[in-house]
Amino acid sequence: MRVPLSWLREFVDVQLTPEQLADALTLRGLEVRGLERWGGNWGKMVVGELLEVSPHPRADRLQLTKVRIGKDQVLEVVCGARNIAAGQRVPVALVGALMPDGRLIERAEKMGVASEGMLCSGAELDATDDGDGILILDAKAPLGVPISDYLGEDVIDVDVKPNRGDLLSLLGLAREVGAITGSPVKYAARKLTEGSSEVGEGLKLTVADPALAPRVVLRVVDGVTVAAAPDAIQMRLKAAGLRSISNVVDATNYIMLELGKPTHAFDRAAVGTGIQIRQAKAKEQLETLDHVQRTLDASDLVVADERAALALAGVMGGASSEVSAATKSVVIESAVFAPTTIRRSAQRHSLRSEASHRFERGQELDLASLAADQVAALITTWAGGTARRGQLDSDPKAVGQTRELAFRPERVRQLIGVSIPDAEQSKLLAGIAISVTEAKGATSVPVTSKRAVSAAKGESLLAVVPPWRRDLELEADIAEEVARLYGYDRITPTLPGRDLPGYLPQPTALRDQVRTSLAAQGLSEAVTHALVSPALSDRHAEPVGLVTGPLAEREGAAASETLLLSNPLSADHDQLRRSLLPSLLDRAEANLRYGALSGALFEIGRGYGGTKGGPTEWTRLGIVVWGEIAAAAPGGAPRLWDLDELKRLVASVASLCNATPRYLPLEAGDATLLHPGRSARATGEGIAGLIGELHPAAAEWRPAPRILMTELALHGLSSGQPAVRRVLLPPGTPPIQRDVALAAPAGVLIGDLVALARESVKLAVSVELFDLFAGGGMAPGERSVGLRFTFQPDAAAALDGAITAEVDAFTTTAAKRYGTKVRGAETQ
Amino acid sequence: MELAALEKQLRTLQTESIAKIGAAETSAALDDLGSSLLGKRGALTDLLRGIGALSAEDRPKIGAIANEVRAAIDAALSNRRGAAGAAELTALITAESADPTAPGPLPQVGSLHPIPETIAAIARIMASFGFTVAEGQEVEDDVTNFQLLNIPEDHPSRDLWDTLYLREPGRLLRTHTSPGQIRTMRAVQPPIRVILPGRCFRYEAVDASHGFEFHQVEGLLVDRGTTLADLKGILDELARGLFGPSTRTRFRPGYYPFTEPSVAVDVSWGGAKDGWMTILGAGMVHPIVLENGGIDPETHQGFAFGLGVERIAMLRHEIPDLRAFLENDLRMLRGLR
Repeated sequence: MRVPLSWLREFVDVQLTPEQLADALTLRGLEVRGLERWGGNWGKMVVGELLEVSPHPRADRLQLTKVRIGKDQVLEVVCGARNIAAGQRVPVALVGALMPDGRLIERAEKMGVASEGMLCSGAELDATDDGDGILILDAKAPLGVPISDYLGEDVIDVDVKPNRGDLLSLLGLAREVGAITGSPVKYAARKLTEGSSEVGEGLKLTVADPALAPRVVLRVVDGVTVAAAPDAIQMRLKAAGLRSISNVVDATNYIMLELGKPTHAFDRAAVGTGIQIRQAKAKEQLETLDHVQRTLDASDLVVADERAALALAGVMGGASSEVSAATKSVVIESAVFAPTTIRRSAQRHSLRSEASHRFERGQELDLASLAADQVAALITTWAGGTARRGQLDSDPKAVGQTRELAFRPERVRQLIGVSIPDAEQSKLLAGIAISVTEAKGATSVPVTSKRAVSAAKGESLLAVVPPWRRDLELEADIAEEVARLYGYDRITPTLPGRDLPGYLPQPTALRDQVRTSLAAQGLSEAVTHALVSPALSDRHAEPVGLVTGPLAEREGAAASETLLLSNPLSADHDQLRRSLLPSLLDRAEANLRYGALSGALFEIGRGYGGTKGGPTEWTRLGIVVWGEIAAAAPGGAPRLWDLDELKRLVASVASLCNATPRYLPLEAGDATLLHPGRSARATGEGIAGLIGELHPAAAEWRPAPRILMTELALHGLSSGQPAVRRVLLPPGTPPIQRDVALAAPAGVLIGDLVALARESVKLAVSVELFDLFAGGGMAPGERSVGLRFTFQPDAAAALDGAITAEVDAFTTTAAKRYGTKVRGAETQ
Repeated sequence: MELAALEKQLRTLQTESIAKIGAAETSAALDDLGSSLLGKRGALTDLLRGIGALSAEDRPKIGAIANEVRAAIDAALSNRRGAAGAAELTALITAESADPTAPGPLPQVGSLHPIPETIAAIARIMASFGFTVAEGQEVEDDVTNFQLLNIPEDHPSRDLWDTLYLREPGRLLRTHTSPGQIRTMRAVQPPIRVILPGRCFRYEAVDASHGFEFHQVEGLLVDRGTTLADLKGILDELARGLFGPSTRTRFRPGYYPFTEPSVAVDVSWGGAKDGWMTILGAGMVHPIVLENGGIDPETHQGFAFGLGVERIAMLRHEIPDLRAFLENDLRMLRGLR
C-alpha cells in the first residue's frame, strides 16, 4: 500500500523523518518496501508568476508570456494553452528540464519568437489527467521554489500482510504509527448536508442472503456534475498509485484509501427501482467495467436491480451503470460481503481489484454506514448536487463488536524468552487499542482453533480486542503483538541448551562422498530443471523395470506415467522429468555452444512419475561427458572420453557405493538417445542404469567430440552412509597373477566370459580383462580375450594346485558354453 | 714351470691389464675386461693353471704374488669404473635433460555446484547445534503443503504462494519446504532438531532474482520451553557461519501463517553492499501446526525457519543473476570450485 505522508499526517501527528518512520514501521512488522519522493523527477521546474500574457504576433493559437521565477528573473515563454492570465502562478519547466515523458526542454523559436522554457499542464507533469490547460497553482505558491518541493510528496510503500486487512487504509496505518509515536489518532468525519427528498423514494433494497452480505448501505446523491476531481485530489490519488477517473469515482477511491472500505457508485438512471444483493443465476451475463462479457454462476454474488445484474459484488462494477459525464444522479453502494465468496469470484474471473483485495481480507461492519456518508459528502463537495435524506441499510444493528480474548502473561514470557511483566504487556497492548483487564474468575484460553485450556483466576488476563483486529483469535496472537511492540531487537539471544535429540545419520553422507569424488575426477556438478518440455521429456526416460529389488525400494523405481502440470508457466516447462539425461545433454550442448569443446557434467537429482498408487520420485546420478578427459601435455596426445573411460568413472563411483557393475546388452526400447552398438545396461548388486554414447541420429551428434552419458541408480545415493569395510591384512607373500588368453568366436560377449571367470575362479581376488584384440591370425570375427586372475596365497606353493584346477575348470566350461579355445597361459 | 717365469708372466699380466683398464672408456668395457682378466675363465685363472707344476714350497709364494696382481687389477678396475661411471652419468643426464621451465599441463579439476554446496554449508553449521538433515517429497498435496500449515483454502494468505498444480486434483509441487515440518513432527518424537533442504516450485515469472524452481532449507526445533530468544541465538550463529564472524543480524516481525510470532531476519556484513539484506523467514511454530503434527502445544514449543538457498548463494558468491544457477555454464561452475 502506497502511503502519501501528507495524507497520513491528517490522521496522526508524525514528527519522524520519512526514513525514521520507514525504519520504525519495518521494525514493528509493517515492512516498508520502498520510500520515494513522488514528483522527485521534476528537475529544473519551478513555481513562476505570470506577469503578462499577450497574443503571439504570427500565430493565433499561441500566446506570449512573461513569467517571473525569482526576484529579478523574468523569462519569456511561448505557450499554447488558453487558460492562463496575468497574476496566476504556474509550473515552469526551465531550459534543460527533462519531462516525465522523456522530452528535453530547450531554448526554442516558436513562429519567430524565442521561448525560454515551458509552462506545464498537469498531464505534462504526469500529475493530473488534464492536458488541455496549464496547471494553475495556488496564488500563495512560493515563487521560484522547485515544483518537486512544492507539489512533490513523500510516499512510503508498506507491504501489508494478508492477515492485516485493517492496514489497507490510512486510518489503520495511522493507528500503528500512533502506537510508535504515542500520538493520538484523529478521524474527523465530514459533515453531510442532506436534502429533503428521502433515499427510499423509488428505491428499495433487498439482501437475499445476509450470510453473504451481512450489511449493505445505499445512499443517493442527485444533481451531480461529473467532471475531473480537483487537481490536488488527482495528485494525491496518483501519488497513492491510483488513476483518477472522475470526481464521483475518485470520491469512492479516496474513501477506500482513507477508511479501507470499498464502495461503488452507480448511475441512478441505469438502476431500476429495487437493488438486490443476490447470487447470480446460472449463465447470467454481465459486462464489467473493463468491457469484458462475463458469464456468471451461483458462486458469484451480484448487485442487481429487478431486471439484471449491475455489478459483480465486491469485485467490479458493470458497464451499463457506469458513471459518465451524462450522469446526473448516483447510487452509492457501501457493503460488507463474505470474504470467501469475493475471493473465489475474483479468482474465477481472474479479476483482482483494489476492492476485491480488501473484501477478501474482511471488512468492519460499522464502516458500511460511515463510508456511504463520507463518499456522499465528498461527491457533494466535488461534483455538487444534494444527498437524499437517510440511508437504505440492510441491517443497522450489524455493528462491530469488541471481543474478549484470554491469555496467560506467563505463557507469553515463556514463548518470547524475556521476562516482560504483566503490567508492561498490558501497556504495550493498550498502544494499539487493545485494553487489558483482570479476569474475574477462571477463563478459557484459546490455544488453537480446536483447543482451549482453562486458566485459574489470576493466571490469565483478558484482552479486549477492537473490531478491526479480526486476525487476533488465539493466545499466541496476543504473544506476537506483545513481542512485536516490545521490539524483537530488545530480546537477548540465547542458545537452546536443553535436551539434544539422539544420533541420526546424515542422509547426504554417501551422496556427498560421490559428489566430491566425481568433482575430484574432473567433473562439474550441475543442477538442471525438474520441469521440462514434452520434447525434452520424450527424448529419454529410464526404462520401467530396469531398477528392481532392494535397489528400487531404496532409491525408487521409474514410473511409467509422466506427471503433467495443470497450470504450466510455459510449454517449455509443463511436466516433470523422468530422467536427468535430456536436461544434462541440453546443458552439454549449451556449453559446446559457449565453446567448451570438452566437458563433463554430473547431477544427482530426482526423476518423477505417476503410478496407480500416486506420484513417486526416484534418485539418480546422471553423467554427460564429451571431448578430452584432461588437456594433453604440450606435444602429447590427450586422453578422450570413450566408453571405457566412462566405465572407469562408473567403477570408481560404484566402489564408493559398494556396488559392482556388470554390462549387459541393451534391450529393445531401452533408449533412443543411445548408440545401439556402443551402449549397455549397467546392472549388478547395488547398481542399475544405462551407459553409452549418444545416438548418431541425435541432433547434438557430431563426429567429434563424441558425447557419452550414463544414468544410474546406486545403492545409498538417496540417503546412504559410506561403507565401512572389513580389511584383511595382506600376507608377506607376493600375489600371483595368472594370465589366460582365449580365442572367442564371433558373437561371444566379453561380459559373459568375464562373469563366468569370476564365478568359476572363486580363489581369485580379482579377475580383469587385460587384453582384447581381433585380427593377427585370428579367424574373422574371432577375438583374443586376455584375462588376468590375481591370487593372494598365504604361502606361495599352497594354492598352486587349487588355482590350476579352478582356472582349468573355467576354460573347460567356457569352451563348452561359448566354444572358446585356450591360446596361451602364463603365470607371474 | 719355474717360479720366476710364472712370476714374470703374472707381472706382465698385471702391467698389461692396468694399461688396458686405463684405456677402457665405458663401464661396459670395464665389465668385459673384469671378466676376461679376473673371471672364472679369465687370463689370471689361465696362468694359475700352471701352478700345479710348481713345487709345494713355491706354490704359496706364487699364490701371494697372484693375490697381489688380482688386487692391483681390481683396484685399477674400481678406480676406472668410478671415473667412467661419473662420465656416463653426466652424459646420461645431459642426454635426458629437457626444459623444465615449461608450465605443466593443467589438472582437470571438476567443481561442485553452488546450490548443493550452499546446502551442505548450512548443514555443516547446523550439525554443530545437533540438527540433522531430512529430505521430503517434492510432489505434495494441498493438505500438507497448505492446510496443515494453517493456510486454509480460500484464505488470502494463499496469495503468498503462487502454486504449480498437477493435473491430478489436490496434487501440487511443493511451494516451500515447510510441509516437511508436518511430516517430521508426525514421524519423530521431540526433542526435534532437523533441517529439510530441497527443491521447491512456484508459479513465478523468471527474472534475475526469481525462478519457478528454487531451493529452500527449512529448519525445525521442537522441545520443551524453546523461546523466541533461542531462535535469535541459533539464527545469529547461522548468519555468522554463512557470512563471517562480524555479521550483524536484525530481527523484525514478519508474517507466516505457520508461525506465531513470525520473524524476518536481515543481515549486514559490511563490504561493498552495506545495508540490511533479508535472508530468511522464521518464527515460533504455530500451536495449530504443532497440533497438526501430533505435538501438544501446551507441553512443547519450537521454532522453524526457512531460507532461500539461491539468495544465500548469490550473496556469498556475489552472483548477480539467479538464472546462472540453472544455466550450468562450465566457465562459471569451474570458477566457483
